[in-house]
Amino acid sequence: MMQTVLRRVRPERLRELILILIIIAVAAFFATQIPDFLSARTFTRISTSVAVVAVVAVGQTLVVLTRNIDLSVGSIVGLVAYFSGTMLSNDPTIPAPVVIAISIGIGAVLGSVNGLLVAYGRVPAIVTTLGTLALYRVALVELSGAKTVTTDTLPSWMLDLPQVTLLSLGAIDVRPLVVLAVVIAVVFQLGLRYLPYGRRLFAIGSNPEAARVAGFPVQRDIFFAFVLSGALSGLAGFMFLARFGNITVTAGQGLELQVVAAVVVGGVNIFGGVGSIIGALLGATLIDLLQQSLIRWLEVSEFLRDAILGLLILLAVASDKVILGRLRTLGIRARQRAQDDADAIDPTDPAARHA
Amino acid sequence: MNVRLAIALLGTIAILTGCSSPGAASPAASVAASTPAASASEPAPSASAAAGGAVKATPGQSVKMMLLPKFLGILPFDQANKGAEEAATELANPEKLSFVGPTAENSVQGQIEFMTNAPTQGLKVVMLSNNAGDQIAPAAEAAQTAGTKVVTWDSPIPSAKGESLFVAQVDFDSIGVVMADMALDLTGSDGGEFAVLSASPDAANQNAWIAALEKALKDPKYAAVKLVDTVYGDDVSEKSYNQALALVDKHPKLEAIMAPTTVGIAAAAKAMQDEKLCDKVKVSGLGLPSEMVSYTLNGCAPEFALWSFVDLGYLTYYTSYLLATGAIQGTEGEQFTGGRMGDYTIEKDPTRDAGLRVLMGPFTVYNKDNVEAAAK
Amino acid sequence: MRDLGLRLRSWEGMLLAILVVVVALNALAAPGYLTVQNQINLFELSVEKAIVVLVMTFVIISGEIDLSVASVMGLAAVVVAVLSSQGVPTEVAIVVALGVGSLCGLANGFWVAIVGLPSLAVTLAGLIGYRGLARVLIEDRSVGGFPDWFESLGQQPILGPLPLALIIFAVMVVGATIILSRSGFGRYVYVLGSNIQVARFSGVRTSRVRLTIFTASGFVAALSGVLLAARLGAVRGSTAEGFELDIITMVLLGGVSIFGGRGTMPGVILSILLILNLRNGLGLANVTGNTQTGVIGVLLILSVLIPNLVGMARSRFGREEAVTLTSPGMTQID
Repeated sequence: MMQTVLRRVRPERLRELILILIIIAVAAFFATQIPDFLSARTFTRISTSVAVVAVVAVGQTLVVLTRNIDLSVGSIVGLVAYFSGTMLSNDPTIPAPVVIAISIGIGAVLGSVNGLLVAYGRVPAIVTTLGTLALYRVALVELSGAKTVTTDTLPSWMLDLPQVTLLSLGAIDVRPLVVLAVVIAVVFQLGLRYLPYGRRLFAIGSNPEAARVAGFPVQRDIFFAFVLSGALSGLAGFMFLARFGNITVTAGQGLELQVVAAVVVGGVNIFGGVGSIIGALLGATLIDLLQQSLIRWLEVSEFLRDAILGLLILLAVASDKVILGRLRTLGIRARQRAQDDADAIDPTDPAARHA
Repeated sequence: MNVRLAIALLGTIAILTGCSSPGAASPAASVAASTPAASASEPAPSASAAAGGAVKATPGQSVKMMLLPKFLGILPFDQANKGAEEAATELANPEKLSFVGPTAENSVQGQIEFMTNAPTQGLKVVMLSNNAGDQIAPAAEAAQTAGTKVVTWDSPIPSAKGESLFVAQVDFDSIGVVMADMALDLTGSDGGEFAVLSASPDAANQNAWIAALEKALKDPKYAAVKLVDTVYGDDVSEKSYNQALALVDKHPKLEAIMAPTTVGIAAAAKAMQDEKLCDKVKVSGLGLPSEMVSYTLNGCAPEFALWSFVDLGYLTYYTSYLLATGAIQGTEGEQFTGGRMGDYTIEKDPTRDAGLRVLMGPFTVYNKDNVEAAAK
Repeated sequence: MRDLGLRLRSWEGMLLAILVVVVALNALAAPGYLTVQNQINLFELSVEKAIVVLVMTFVIISGEIDLSVASVMGLAAVVVAVLSSQGVPTEVAIVVALGVGSLCGLANGFWVAIVGLPSLAVTLAGLIGYRGLARVLIEDRSVGGFPDWFESLGQQPILGPLPLALIIFAVMVVGATIILSRSGFGRYVYVLGSNIQVARFSGVRTSRVRLTIFTASGFVAALSGVLLAARLGAVRGSTAEGFELDIITMVLLGGVSIFGGRGTMPGVILSILLILNLRNGLGLANVTGNTQTGVIGVLLILSVLIPNLVGMARSRFGREEAVTLTSPGMTQID
């Protein structure tokens, strides 16, 4: 039985399963520590708080798969949230779809600057996005003139958005922003798996040289990965505006670290070529679950929280690595035993590279 | 190689000239001019202060001044700058006031940099809303030695080392009392539990105010209200929002959240509104009317307090101008006229172990009757 | 590879040229810029970061990253402050702080070199966790009141106009340059960063080299943290927070490849000088912190982009072979 499972399941799936197990274990632990933890309320709290990070993490995954990184996402989220908020304050009659489209559009433009510099200007992604991280924030400070976007100037549909319940599953309320994040994750996961573009991203990250020799439009593909990351950050900026309402120049500051942590914990290889959107989503969920649980854990002082969070993130990454390594060895043996060689030749299969 | 170099150079020159030309325009000559004037006017006013009269400023003197907030881009500091500009116009200081600040994420290091560079720039006064705690003290002391006065406002240097004066918005102890009063008000006649949502754990003025609140709560008058928790949202909306919700989950009997920070109070009010908890948990603390008006009107944050940052900036400029021109010496008991705001006396700061302060005051407590007018 | 040396030389040449321009502009635009006091100030304000930049250069050339340095700096500063305030002699407290920093570095190294986790993940956890430890120790307090000798070490000149931290930095510049370019260890660092498999097969004890690098990173960060505590005279939980981005920026502008294997110490030193002078000049010219950061961001991007564009233009017109296409030390997937 175990043999069959190991033979059938791809390493990424395994990794996702392990993450789900870790999440369940963490939740089970906190259920013994925090009264009323396993409740609909906890679900609502964590799902709504992870939604913004998750959407940004989806875009980050695309970029990281190509062996790049986008550190400017936090500044894009802040800039878009501020810009859209100001626009709505000035004219509250602008319909929702237009605001969303403009948010995504601004994000895409900012992302395309990164993409141009990285793909066509051949400036390393970390250099480019460290630079634009600063530049986009400067643009926000200059643009704002120290005015805060406040909730009372926003139209009522915007204020209702984070409060309404889109559907109720028993006692569990599902909020629109959560649905949006899940839809985005699913769509991009499917796209990554089945669209030629998605599969090319893996190929580029695994071996850029080979991808070019194979005739893939490497530059264009990387460019669009950054555009998509920017566009999703723009959408997240809109969600940020809806959720927090009060937008100052510090909006979204430091989000990039949270997103990179989510992606790394989610098993997306920082050297490209390996990972999945679902993994990133699970990574974001795990980190948020830890954060939200720690601030509700009465036994732990306010000051001990970050020390524990750091340790737990390390343990999550380590246990993932250890368990996955063990299973992968078993899996390879199982496959060899079944002489199922054809399966291992799949060029996008990271097991083939690492074996 | 040559072409590459040349283009790189051109690029850099373009950036540098583009960015530095406005600031670089301030001439050093006027600094020199201001110094003799300042020292010449020293003896007379201090004599008049000793005689008991309030010192009045002599307009038109050239004093190079810098207003240094915690960081740029948020409303309270911008309002303070507005007030300072108003005073500058009134006093007809030929030197333009420079309003600069660090980035929010590099605030401490950035403030220390500006402070260290101040004497080199020929500044006579730095007006500082201190975000660096005592870490800025060595830089401030060095500035004083080099002839630059340091006047703090909004947030002082805790040890008062390197600080000439602190222009206090209100008495720090009275902030504790006001917050205790509001907590009592919001939890109803039977009292109840409340929690504090602060900025970061090392925000010096927030810590001082929370200490003042705890002191005030010892009064039997507040026996019914109980402070059950203090958490930190780091003055980041997202964090403060999540912390507010966590407070509600952690303490099922919680009736109020007291946030002595403008970012925290707005985020907490939004969180209560989104989760439809406003009937159960009220939000209060220190907030800006323009950011709080909708929550006050819908009952999520029925009352909160603040002072005028415009007035604070105005008074700080006046005080600093008087000090830099030598009209006052910055010693205990000196009296001066702070323009439209009336007369003030320099006194020992009772809320710190050392240091002198000029107390502005008072608070305004905002509720549904006055918040709309103030938000305009 | 054959003209690697040439390319690196021209990268440093470019940094030097920009530095000359910045210094010239500063001297023209900011009256107090050329005074000895200002030159000392300019270094003193960032010397702790500059010291860590030297060791970060080793980390990045070896193909790794250490995001936890600023948290280790903060933790070491907190350890010194808290221990001294509880009556432990400051000399002992310093030794303990350096030990704690080295242990943090060793722990990072263990997870990376022995367990095989990516350094980005490990040191990101360290960034959160070590800062958390500092918070546990100091909570919401600000701890100062160091003995006078300790504060004057941080604030007063001890050799001519030079304070201790600058002397340490100068010594370390020499040491780091020699180790990186002249020693066997330095060669290992490059080999490790170029190709870990090759390094392994050619007999480099990769785990030991990486453990050494990370432990050194922790130690040096702790040393910087102690110097920072002495300069500031008071320590809080947030001391040195966010320094890692500035530190990494200086290394990258120095021409070190984020993918490892390439970069030189002279390039990094020029980059440090350039950023410090640029920041100082902008500060003297009353440019706000945001704009300063923005200017450095633009400089970072342009310093790579412009040589690339020139190279591309040249190769398009066929005047030179395609090898100048890539900027020094910063080859990117193409």
